[in-house]
Amino acid sequence: MLSIRNLSKTYPNGVQALKSVTLDIPKGMFGLLGPNGAGKSSLMRTLATLQEADSGEANLDEIDVLQNKDAVRRVLGYLPQDFGVYPKVSAEDLLDHFAALKGYVNRKERADVVASLLQQVNLWAVRKQKLGGFSGGMRQRFGIAQALLGSPRLVIVDEPTAGLDPEERNRFLNLLAEIGENVVVILSTHIVEDVTDLCPRMAIINKGQVLLTGEPLEAIRSLEGRVWKKVVDKIELPDVQNRLTVLSTRLVGGRPVVHVLSDAQPEAGFEPIAAGLEDVYFGQLSRHRATLAA
Amino acid sequence: MFTEFLKFDLRFQWRTPLLWIGIAVFALVAFAITRSDGAQLGGAIGNVHRNAPFVIVQWMTIFTVLGLFIAGAFVGGTLLRDFEMGTSELFFSKPIGAKSYLLGRYTAGVIVSLTIYVAIALALILAILVPGIDAARLGPFSFSPYLYALAVFVIPNLIFTSALMLLFAATMRSMLGVYLAIMAFLVMWAVAGSYTRDIDNLWVAALVDPFGARALSITTRYWTTEDRNTLLPAVSGYILANRALWLSMAAVLIAATLALFKAQRAGTSARKPWFAKRAKPAPAAADNTLAPVTHRAIAAPAPSSFGGAVRQYFKQTLFDTRHVLLSVPFLVMLAFGVLNLVGSLEQTGMYDTPLYPTTSQMLGAIQGSYTWILMIIVMFYGGELVWRERTAKLDGVIDAFPVPNWVPLAAKATALVAVVAVFMTAAALWCMGYQLMQGYTQLEPLLYLKGLALSAALYVLTGWLAIVFQVISNHKFVGYLLTIGIMMSWIVLGTLDFDHNLVAFGSAPATPYSDMNGYGHFITGWAWFTGYWTLFTLAALLVAAAFWVRGTPEVLRTRVAVAKSRLAGRGGVLLASLVVATLATGAWIFYNTTVLNHYAASDTQLDQQAEYEKRWRKFDDLPQPRILATDNEVQIYPAERRVVIDGHYRMKNKTTQPIMELLVYLDPDFATVRFDIPGATLKEHDEVSGMRVYALAAPLAPAAEFDFGYHIDVQNHGFTNSGAPGKVYYNGTFFNNIDYFPQFGYQPGGEIKDRNERRDRGLGEPRRMPKLETAPRTETYLSDDSDWIDFKSTVCTSPDQIAMAPGYLQREWEENGRRCFRYEMDSPILGFWAYLSADWEVKRDRWNDVAIEVYYDKKHPYNVDRMIAATKKSLDYFTANFGPYQHRQFRILEFPGYAQFAQAFPNTIPYSEAIGFITNLEGEDAVDYVFYVTAHELAHQWWAHQVMGADAQGSTLMSETMAQYSALMVMEQEYGPEKMRKFLKHELDAYLRGRGGEIIEELPLDHVEDSQGYVHYRKGSLVMYRLKEALGADAINLALRNYIAKVKYQEPPYTVSTELVAEFRAVAPPEQQQLITDLFERITFYDNRADEISAKKRADGKYDVTIAWKAAKKLSDGIGKESELALGDDIDIGVFARAKGGDENDEKVLYLKKHRIDQPEGKITVVVDELPYDAGIDPLNKLIDRVSSDNRKRVSLED
Repeated sequence: MLSIRNLSKTYPNGVQALKSVTLDIPKGMFGLLGPNGAGKSSLMRTLATLQEADSGEANLDEIDVLQNKDAVRRVLGYLPQDFGVYPKVSAEDLLDHFAALKGYVNRKERADVVASLLQQVNLWAVRKQKLGGFSGGMRQRFGIAQALLGSPRLVIVDEPTAGLDPEERNRFLNLLAEIGENVVVILSTHIVEDVTDLCPRMAIINKGQVLLTGEPLEAIRSLEGRVWKKVVDKIELPDVQNRLTVLSTRLVGGRPVVHVLSDAQPEAGFEPIAAGLEDVYFGQLSRHRATLAA
Repeated sequence: MFTEFLKFDLRFQWRTPLLWIGIAVFALVAFAITRSDGAQLGGAIGNVHRNAPFVIVQWMTIFTVLGLFIAGAFVGGTLLRDFEMGTSELFFSKPIGAKSYLLGRYTAGVIVSLTIYVAIALALILAILVPGIDAARLGPFSFSPYLYALAVFVIPNLIFTSALMLLFAATMRSMLGVYLAIMAFLVMWAVAGSYTRDIDNLWVAALVDPFGARALSITTRYWTTEDRNTLLPAVSGYILANRALWLSMAAVLIAATLALFKAQRAGTSARKPWFAKRAKPAPAAADNTLAPVTHRAIAAPAPSSFGGAVRQYFKQTLFDTRHVLLSVPFLVMLAFGVLNLVGSLEQTGMYDTPLYPTTSQMLGAIQGSYTWILMIIVMFYGGELVWRERTAKLDGVIDAFPVPNWVPLAAKATALVAVVAVFMTAAALWCMGYQLMQGYTQLEPLLYLKGLALSAALYVLTGWLAIVFQVISNHKFVGYLLTIGIMMSWIVLGTLDFDHNLVAFGSAPATPYSDMNGYGHFITGWAWFTGYWTLFTLAALLVAAAFWVRGTPEVLRTRVAVAKSRLAGRGGVLLASLVVATLATGAWIFYNTTVLNHYAASDTQLDQQAEYEKRWRKFDDLPQPRILATDNEVQIYPAERRVVIDGHYRMKNKTTQPIMELLVYLDPDFATVRFDIPGATLKEHDEVSGMRVYALAAPLAPAAEFDFGYHIDVQNHGFTNSGAPGKVYYNGTFFNNIDYFPQFGYQPGGEIKDRNERRDRGLGEPRRMPKLETAPRTETYLSDDSDWIDFKSTVCTSPDQIAMAPGYLQREWEENGRRCFRYEMDSPILGFWAYLSADWEVKRDRWNDVAIEVYYDKKHPYNVDRMIAATKKSLDYFTANFGPYQHRQFRILEFPGYAQFAQAFPNTIPYSEAIGFITNLEGEDAVDYVFYVTAHELAHQWWAHQVMGADAQGSTLMSETMAQYSALMVMEQEYGPEKMRKFLKHELDAYLRGRGGEIIEELPLDHVEDSQGYVHYRKGSLVMYRLKEALGADAINLALRNYIAKVKYQEPPYTVSTELVAEFRAVAPPEQQQLITDLFERITFYDNRADEISAKKRADGKYDVTIAWKAAKKLSDGIGKESELALGDDIDIGVFARAKGGDENDEKVLYLKKHRIDQPEGKITVVVDELPYDAGIDPLNKLIDRVSSDNRKRVSLED
């Protein structure tokens, strides 16, 4: 169980990345949803001991995450967003190196761990190859292999599916789901489906603040029967946005389709639809924007 | 489009802080060196003005070498910016031509780099305009040298270097490529340097250097002070050829870049550079098989422990070391290094004669032409390793591993050590291979280990400091700049008189090596200083570890806070102990170097000398008694480096007045000194300079004699700052009476000689030798303490060594575990004696009744027989032509190669191991300078030890020039006149270079002063050989015999050069009198050249050769201003044949006769028997002619 209390961080340029964030994250997959620049990465890096917080606290069971960094690092698996590799080193060699850094100082033991992980992420066949020749998906799988070193109790994965093709994405999410059975896994993403598919619990953050935390299904349920959609003309759009609480607008076949939040049918032509997590997400964001504007 | 790129880039670059930092640094350095007294690199010495055109051009050219890295950053950086920042695709998807893109970037790089040089030029100008420089050191101000330097050197250099960087950056698309370009460039430059050593390779050397610096120095190598102050080198000859070559190279490089450059993303071109191994794509199968994913339990790692951290450290070290060793830049630099090393392994001594490849020679070559690359390697990889994870964007992963903060830093520091070790080992292996190839089998791996470890220390420390700078600045280029700053501090501190090794990073005393003495006691001082700097650097590394960036970089304030918290506890204790240890070591060093030993910064030293002169010079002419005889007991303790002298002088008042006071000088650093002077009281004692004044109870009447007893204890404790060789060593002690024995009266040798330093301290012009015309001739030029003396001495040393002094061995015995020797001379000698002690092998031989002995180190048996042969042949010639040899023995004694000379004491010749003992004389055309040096020193037994000149200008004509002549004659007899040509060519070159370095004024041979070796040795050889050609050896030897008979063992008044010249005149016919004037009494030059040479085959099969020549004779004054002289000389005209493909060494003389030349030009037709190859005027370069290569020309055959 990871509990975060009043975590705040302001960057030297004045941007407040975290505003008194408080979260309780139990075992299992936890989705952290938010737009670009919401503070997801700041939160993750802070939990991964890579960044100092200005105030607040975070505890992983008995470990004080902010103070006792070494203890955290022993039980942490971290897959940063946009990580690189040494292109001229083979997968096996680099993982072996990482394993040593993780604390497997016994050569034999290390070799077992490396072999086991490479098989697990299905890279065993290509273990001798230079990482420079890996595809994006393979590289991401290599990333998860290194994050699994040391059988971590806390796994943090930052935007792991960005840039993966659908098949790779599926495979990757399956892998994550496996891991999530026993440990705390924080999955940061702005892809709503990732969370819907995988996470029993989630939080939505924006501009450094937690907007919502809870179970995705419950959040969806709270919108049941209150989401309406309509295909509108481009010219009408600004007008609709003014009159109604528009959750999202997207083009279908070249024409705008709006989702609107309303307890009853707002206007003629709107038809009810089943709510999705996306509607929750957009609902939260638009409400937040409104509060900030007010 | 081109101008758009250009403008954009210029705007961008001019806003880069790096540019302005670079400008500031270089401008400051330029300013400082012009103002500083110590900077001699540019050649502003003696009478050469600080702003002499020559000096300005030199400096500007030197700066193009120093500025290479900065320029590389701009030109390479400009181009690479697009690749690094990922903007390249934005550019390449626009409709632009690669040409305008590349050329725009390139031109911007050149212009921006040029800004730095304009700033340097301005700083040089400003430095001269700001008052404070002695006006006598400045010439008239002119912009032209600055413009010349920019136009002829700086801009072409920038054009070429930038083109090189452009090519590498554009094709390799990485900063690595730029570094490779820089390396390639530096190596080309170094290689050019190793070629200039051979005077026959001038064209190669001038062309192969892309900076043109060598072309410049070759063009100006014979320039006199006057030339340096007034002339700019003409853009022709070497300089023009060099500039043209490298500008066209630049054009080729740019063309190549345009041809090879593809406006595509890096790595997508089908054509890849050879070094980029194609990363194989992973097999698709692995990618697509969806194996059932099972999350298996993974064993947990061992809990954190110090032992575990240490193993992580080893693993990381290995990982980083392997990365460096297998990386392209390292391998390329290693290859460059080895390439450069190969070129310099063939070590040559004087006259281009090769040396045996001893390990110490190999170490010298490694240090001279290989290890400097390490400076670049440690600087570059110091940065690379610190930034390795971040460059690969792996920092997020790595930083979150449970590794203590000290591990990555320590691993990277250790990796650098391993890299240095591998680099050094490669050199050692290569050199041992070379030694074996040369058939030299005495391999000394341990000596390699020692020698290379000694030189590796500085590189390791610099690499560590580079790491510290990188970590703390947390900015790659700032880190590099700071490291370059350290390198500059070495130069700058040196010129600012902060020359204590305690303040210049990584500095330690020199550790000269000698086969005889090993590294001797020098190791101690080196070890303390290196220990001091190591502790300092470790402390710095610890601070860096505290500042090690982990995770997101924070602002400075946060970093300081984090560092503080990391240093709380054990880290802080360790840091404190390191700081304390550094300070304690520093204090111990300070105690050793400045309390136990004497240290004075060069400025302080000069001030003390000035003080000495001001206080004591008034006693310069104070009459003092002279030594008649001396008997000494000298105890040498090699292991303690201690000498104890008990002895006395028998002294006599040889003047006509009573003497009231004795002025005694002895080195003030000696441990104990007691003088025993009957009835004298110490009146004054200057402890700084070592002068004592004794008042005699009763005046010493003329002709009265007395005994002067002394006890002197010379001890060497601890170590010194400079490590400058002393006199007493574990093996190979050598000192003379001027070093350790009391001397009388004011010592002019203690005066400052540099005229500018004198001027700064309110002293007059530097002391010169007394004028030939007015010198009192009361003393010899060697000493005013004695004339001819009786010499006896006992000398004891440790039982494993032999101790030596002039004289015949009377007795050898052991006493209290010491080995003692008694030497006595049977006839009076010059008051100049020496003691030596070493563990020698001895080889004995005889020539008539003269015992010949060579005392040599067991490692150096090679040329002992050669020395003995030379001795015998010289004795033959000298006794037959000059007169009898005054001794019954002749001994050569090897001493450590810390100094490189041989010196003639009475029948005793200390001979440095560095000259002659390891010379390889097996080569066919080698100049046998072992023979030459031996003959020269033996000749001094006549020319110094029988004939001694007065203390007056011209007196070294009778010692050094005559010894040169004597040696030349024996050599010619041994090797024939053809060999002499090679020897004389070197002498001519050395003379012409020497006069370029003259700091006061050049004098004609009969007025030569004792500091003008280039005149009395080098010009002396040329003059005497020419005189011999004109008069014949018999006539000259007759003159010399007559002269010796008149002046040998002379008491005052001593002979002067005019008396010798008069003897030459007496044997010369009237038509040669003018020649004697030209040779001895003037500075005369010829400017002869072959103009048009044609040949026509005659009916009888012979050839008519017509030689059109030009001739000129010039008179030069002391600083090189020349005026025309009337011709009227007998000069050789020669015609030569050469076999097909043959060279000058085996040419055949078809015609060689002296012709009277008294017109500036003319034509001569001669008939020869064979097809001529070339012909000319003074074809064998017997005259002093600055351009000796145009005296001959190929013959053009007419039908």
